[in-house]
Amino acid sequence: MGLIGHYNLRSMFVRKVTALMTALGIAMVVAVFVMTLALAQGFRSTLIASGSPDNAIVLRKGSTSETVSGFGQDLVPIVETLPQVARDAKGLPLVSPELVLAVALPRVTDGQDANVPVRGVGPHAFAIRERLRFVEGRPFTRGLNEINVGRMATLRFRGLAMGETLSIAGRPWTIVGIFEGEDASFESEIWGDVDLMNPAFQRQGYQSITAKLVSRDAFDAFKAAIAADPRLNLEAQRENEYYAAQSVVMTTVIGVLGTFVTLILSIGAMFGAMNTMYAAVAHRIREVGTLRALGFSRGAVLLAFIAESTALAVIGGVIGCALALPLHGMSTGTTNMASFTEVAFKFRITPALLGAGVAFAAVMGAIGGLLPAIRAARLPISQALREI
Amino acid sequence: MKYVGLLLKNVRRNKRRTALTVLSVAIAVFLGASLRAVLQGFTGGTEASSAVRTVTLRKTGLFFFMPVTHVDAIRAAVPGVKHVTWASWFGGIYKDPNNFFAQFAIDPESYLRIYPEIQLPADQKEAFIADRTGAIIGEALARRFNLNVGDRMVLQVGIPVYGEQDYTFTVRGIYTPASSVIDNATMFFHWKYLDERSIVKGQTGFLVQELEDPDRATEIAAAIDQRFANSANETKTVTERQFQGTFVSMFGNLNLLLGSIGLAVIVTTLFVAGNTMAMSVRERTTEIAVMRTLGFSGRAIFVLVAGEAVMMAVVGAIVGGVLARVLVSNETLGMTGFIPPFGVSNGTLVEGLALGALIGVLAGLIPATLAARLKIVDGLRRVA
Repeated sequence: MGLIGHYNLRSMFVRKVTALMTALGIAMVVAVFVMTLALAQGFRSTLIASGSPDNAIVLRKGSTSETVSGFGQDLVPIVETLPQVARDAKGLPLVSPELVLAVALPRVTDGQDANVPVRGVGPHAFAIRERLRFVEGRPFTRGLNEINVGRMATLRFRGLAMGETLSIAGRPWTIVGIFEGEDASFESEIWGDVDLMNPAFQRQGYQSITAKLVSRDAFDAFKAAIAADPRLNLEAQRENEYYAAQSVVMTTVIGVLGTFVTLILSIGAMFGAMNTMYAAVAHRIREVGTLRALGFSRGAVLLAFIAESTALAVIGGVIGCALALPLHGMSTGTTNMASFTEVAFKFRITPALLGAGVAFAAVMGAIGGLLPAIRAARLPISQALREI
Repeated sequence: MKYVGLLLKNVRRNKRRTALTVLSVAIAVFLGASLRAVLQGFTGGTEASSAVRTVTLRKTGLFFFMPVTHVDAIRAAVPGVKHVTWASWFGGIYKDPNNFFAQFAIDPESYLRIYPEIQLPADQKEAFIADRTGAIIGEALARRFNLNVGDRMVLQVGIPVYGEQDYTFTVRGIYTPASSVIDNATMFFHWKYLDERSIVKGQTGFLVQELEDPDRATEIAAAIDQRFANSANETKTVTERQFQGTFVSMFGNLNLLLGSIGLAVIVTTLFVAGNTMAMSVRERTTEIAVMRTLGFSGRAIFVLVAGEAVMMAVVGAIVGGVLARVLVSNETLGMTGFIPPFGVSNGTLVEGLALGALIGVLAGLIPATLAARLKIVDGLRRVA
């Protein structure tokens, strides 16, 4: 370690401009790496936050998402009476039959129409989603043309502020409350009474039933009970697992794009590091010869140069993380391919992601430094000392 | 031009370094061209959209149907509309939900008349129109699932309103799109077949009009919406360009995302290439001083150093551009489905070369200026 600390790290400062340029090259790669992963992570965590392991969502058998599910209203009482369903203080089952559609509304940013999800929900919907809280106003009243809007949706779309009236399918709906829910995808939605939405949208039946279970462990029995009932052509999933599965398509697309770009770009940055280290070795041939003559082993020299390159890259990695960091918490939106509606989410940069960025930089540095370090270690002492 | 020999000698002096620099520029151009190709894939439909077509949707949004009688109402009441056709999104599942591709139920005759971009041999077209359960598919789709004319395709229903039974189609034709308004991986089949099986009858997802005069598009669109104002099925009519634009914007701000990645790519390469040039100039300080003593002017030195940078960058750009051209398309990358088709066009290739040259100029600028300004005495005095 002595050699690395005293010799290589100080040498780095001697060639500050070159070292800085190389580090900045790596910094850009790490910034892209962190940014794309933050995008994927933000989207994923928004959908995951929507589900709770204590809840179950029931869809038509074989449906991969609510959009492609559908069943008659007569099935709800059968599900409601299952013993695994939790009940409220009055003894009513905590079950919400739901319908999800989308209306076209213009975005605040570009005025372009986007598909905003509208969810018709049962009276217990807010009690089932414990994380949802009202930041303004109150829940809609059953039987009235009132709606609640998620906080992200009010910010992203025109005409969704508290107190405004929204015309959906020819009927006026008054916004009586704004809710938030730890960045869950529900924050991008509009909620209203499912029994009013059904006729307004010319639909019959529901698309999903979300139920609060008596306990987390009751799920298996609940799922089995639904599968066993011949009247029900339905299938239960844990709510959190359902939403995690909804994020897969989008996260994969972002992940593939991000990996493709960062991998190729990192090769370019590695070439840069390699160039720099080769030059560093070539510059210091005599010094390397002296070190070897003083008794430093080939292994020590090899390690020292790899360490120098790695240190250089880690500095770059830290700069890159710092460049990406301002994005944290910035909100953006995309269409959730599973439902064809727009979901708003925030870039999420976690400590683990930053750690991964720096580690990625270190790997680039180590690989980039390997060949030059081998060259330094292999120099015959006599030849190295003779070099001018 | 007389310096070319010298330039080539200089480039060959440190072969490893030259190779590494050329390759890093190649990578930058490769990435730049690929990102651009993806972006063009997304926006291509918008740019190629026709000015004579307008699209009518339910005002409430894409998810809602309107009665197909709207077609007759428009034909009867809105002057300036040459043809009207209608179509519905099917959203069926072919074998596996991951095999996503677009399927539209159309009125074959009128739809193919309004979209001459769907190019189909005349006999296949006739066969398709004649067969109620026939379908036509894009050439990319045919390749992806290895389908030929005459093959059967069974699609599971994705949207409950279309009934529960699977749909069986016969491939009657394979089309090639004449412009990027039409995707090369879509399936079209008879709306009548869909209507027979649907739970609600006589409904359609959207209408397309061909106008007589594109300059009157806004006026006619307003007239169409006026015709259905205050009815149970109000409409919203937009130009084809606007319609395609909403789909592009659905993916989020792609321009910004891909643009900032592209910028990062260029900046990274600038650092790498600039650094290399600076290093090689530094190593040649004494040599440059000797050349100046021999009578080479400051400008000649500038040209030599900058020329070296540009030469490496351009070679790199050619390597990267050609690789991107050969390798990048959604089929080679295995990205099909939601991502529109993309590939590196000649225009993008030229832009890539220009980008490479720009990187070379920028990377060579500072080292070349320093080399040209070098004082001979300082240069000679310095020991490498």
